[in-house]
Amino acid sequence: MTSTLALKSVTRRFGKVTAVDALSMELREGELLAVLGPSGCGKTTTLRLIAGFERPDGGEVYFGDRPVSALPPERRDIGMVFQNYALFPHLTVWQNVAFGLQMRHLPRVEVARRTAEILGRVQLGGMEDRYPRQLSGGQQQRTALARALVINPQILLLDEPLANLDAKLREEMRFFIRSLQRDLGITALYVTHDQAEAMVLADRILVMMHGVVQQLDAPEAVYRRPATAEVASFVGLSNFLPGEVATSGGGLLSVQTPHGALLCQGPDLPAGAPVQVMVRPESIRPAAAPESGNHLAGVVVERSFLGNLTDYRIEAAGATVLRVQVGGASAWSVGEHVALGFEPADAWGIPDHG
Amino acid sequence: MAVFFVAPYANMLLISFLTPGSGQPYALPFTLANYARSVTDAFNWRVLWNTCWYAALTAAICLVLAYPLAYRLARARGRAKAALLVIVLSPLLLDVVIRSYGWMILLADNGLINQLLRKLGLHPVQLMYNAFGVVVGLTHVFLPFMVLSLLGSLETLNPDIELAARSLGARGWQAFWRVVWPLSLPGVFAGTVLVFVLAASSYVIPSLLGENAVLTMPLLIAQRVLTVFNWPSGAALAMFMSVFVLGLVGVYAVLMNRAMRGLR
Amino acid sequence: MGRGSRWLGVAVGAVCVFLLLPIVVVILTAFNAGSYLRFPPQGFSLRWFVSFAHNSTFTSSFLFSLELAALATALAAVLGTLGALFAVRHAGRWANALRLLMVAPLELPAILTGVALLIFFYGIRLRTQGLMTLLIGHTLICIPFVFLAVSVVLTHFDTNLEEAARSLGADGWRTFLRVTLPLIKVGIVSGATLAFVSSFGEFPISLLLSGVQATPLPLQLFDYLRFSFDPTAAAVGTVNIALTVSVVLLTERWVGLESLYRGGRR
Repeated sequence: MTSTLALKSVTRRFGKVTAVDALSMELREGELLAVLGPSGCGKTTTLRLIAGFERPDGGEVYFGDRPVSALPPERRDIGMVFQNYALFPHLTVWQNVAFGLQMRHLPRVEVARRTAEILGRVQLGGMEDRYPRQLSGGQQQRTALARALVINPQILLLDEPLANLDAKLREEMRFFIRSLQRDLGITALYVTHDQAEAMVLADRILVMMHGVVQQLDAPEAVYRRPATAEVASFVGLSNFLPGEVATSGGGLLSVQTPHGALLCQGPDLPAGAPVQVMVRPESIRPAAAPESGNHLAGVVVERSFLGNLTDYRIEAAGATVLRVQVGGASAWSVGEHVALGFEPADAWGIPDHG
Repeated sequence: MAVFFVAPYANMLLISFLTPGSGQPYALPFTLANYARSVTDAFNWRVLWNTCWYAALTAAICLVLAYPLAYRLARARGRAKAALLVIVLSPLLLDVVIRSYGWMILLADNGLINQLLRKLGLHPVQLMYNAFGVVVGLTHVFLPFMVLSLLGSLETLNPDIELAARSLGARGWQAFWRVVWPLSLPGVFAGTVLVFVLAASSYVIPSLLGENAVLTMPLLIAQRVLTVFNWPSGAALAMFMSVFVLGLVGVYAVLMNRAMRGLR
Repeated sequence: MGRGSRWLGVAVGAVCVFLLLPIVVVILTAFNAGSYLRFPPQGFSLRWFVSFAHNSTFTSSFLFSLELAALATALAAVLGTLGALFAVRHAGRWANALRLLMVAPLELPAILTGVALLIFFYGIRLRTQGLMTLLIGHTLICIPFVFLAVSVVLTHFDTNLEEAARSLGADGWRTFLRVTLPLIKVGIVSGATLAFVSSFGEFPISLLLSGVQATPLPLQLFDYLRFSFDPTAAAVGTVNIALTVSVVLLTERWVGLESLYRGGRR
């Protein structure tokens, strides 16, 4: 696969703060890559470096194999959707969308044709003469999308584009953006702090923290095999059981913990190395008696019924409190003793550097 | 652009500070004699005192007149607000000379008001070419500035605050005095300072409505510069006046700060 | 509430009357047939306007003032806007200094500025008492209005909009023309309106800088009023009022009156 965009150890500092620290990554043609991270992790700065609104203090940004750090934003052939949409308030929907085409000095007829086409695509036909303030949030969002897409950019950059929409619309728009991007075959970089959004939309997810890439992988891999404990906690809920490696090999670890020996998947590690066994709440099954696989004993301390699942807090040995989620209704009550079991395939060992 | 703008100002400061000895317009050597003369002359002090007294009076009257208007304006919406704004702003946009002329027509010895008094069988009163006329004129000219300053404070005030005070048992007047008034003090401060400074440096009003009966600092300075052609003396007087007015504003700011302590 | 707000209404009404009274009186005098305004008025007449039209000192002053105000406003619009762009977009000592400087002519008594300019022009041998010196003085007075109004708009300006334009392929200059300028137009227009109006009515600066061959209208009117009460002055004033009102109405049509007051607010 060819890479459309590459960052080679790009660094950007603001005063004493290093917002982006020697970041390297590649974007494959036609993929949608989500940059996921908590606020202040440097993800927006990364986007602005790619767009050309920021200049790197070190490293280089490549479009294809062309370095672009010296190019101003208007010559980079990007489309960008801003968090607040940044629609021109003095221009109509039509004028907003046509803006980029006019800047490229395209013939009038083509500007009209392409603008009409994209507006149809984002279901804004009939809204051409409205001003941004006369549109709903969702319509403004689609206008911003159309404006960025109509110029058929090499790369589409999206900066938290759904953050200002209400929950229900946000969910609809995820699928809308996803199918639009696939249909147009456009390469896209999508910045978000919402892990569910990243999961639904992305071909691959880049998890970023403190200006550093923590992991770059497919959504499922990020969820099931997080590179660090921080990634695991940021992406979904997780339980951590600390221990030491007893044996390792063939992608399987045996870990000695206060709860007894536990088996999990994980990278090969030397015996005695500190390790965190990570288990997702939905992978743990509470039962009356121990079943096959890993198991540990605990007492139910809290139970909440959430409709599609039941959420337990269960105290195990050493005052470790585990989150356990069971699909649908489940009838363990507070104070009951339970045996918790999980499969080695659902547990992941993370080297513990702390 | 910087050159065009900075130069006259830099020069202004320079000239004002240099104050060379008397000559034709001005000449060397450097001297402080102009300043000495300005500060020691009792006549200058009397004119300065008058100037500040009229300005302070104007600021106080403006405050009293502007407050209800600003209060109303802060709560008005839509068309009513636009109409009130037009009324407040319109005098601001008109030539001061013309506004003074309007007052001359009203206040002159045989002006409208005295005609009315005569018709009612009363004695005509001298309303112009005295302090009264000057203060009326100044108040009229600077009232809009006061309204706008107060409006800035009152508009940001959440109207619910007053309702909250009422809900706690405060009467209308109490709610105003204990809650609205203290919260509007920054606007009061800004407005009174602005009006005071503007009124103290006004030229047209005291000259048209005061004629020879009222002499203020700006008149005196212009006279020195234009008629007597003693530029150094005029510049020294100008500096003297600026420093004095700024000093007064400074003292006032300290006092107001004490009153507003709770607001920061 | 009821009684309190009624008193408030009365007070507001009285202050409004006070504000409008002299203006109304000037207009009434101008249309009044007699040489003094009396009760009852002595009938409608345009004779004072005719007298104004035939008075060449007044008409030439009027035209001169118009020219002066238009030129000063145009200069101030450009300089004030540039200054605001710099001051708002840059942090640091220079921007702060510029900010102070740009509003200084409004804060300092105009009569002092006039004195300073007079001495300065003499010092640099610039021929005093002409259009040039008046224009510089008036531009100085006009700049703060534009600067303040544009600054207000710029501080609320979303810089993402400029970035969006850049991302769509507009270079710096076209971004300014197509996005920034149309969006700060409100500030420029309302600032320029206030600038025009205050230049047209400016007195102290003109007093010190004008000469025999170039007398702005307020000065001419002032001189006239010191010797006579003739309602020709009222006619001049009424024409002035009409001009100001139409400038403001044009602004209202263009950018809205609210912006005039917001932009012009100190």
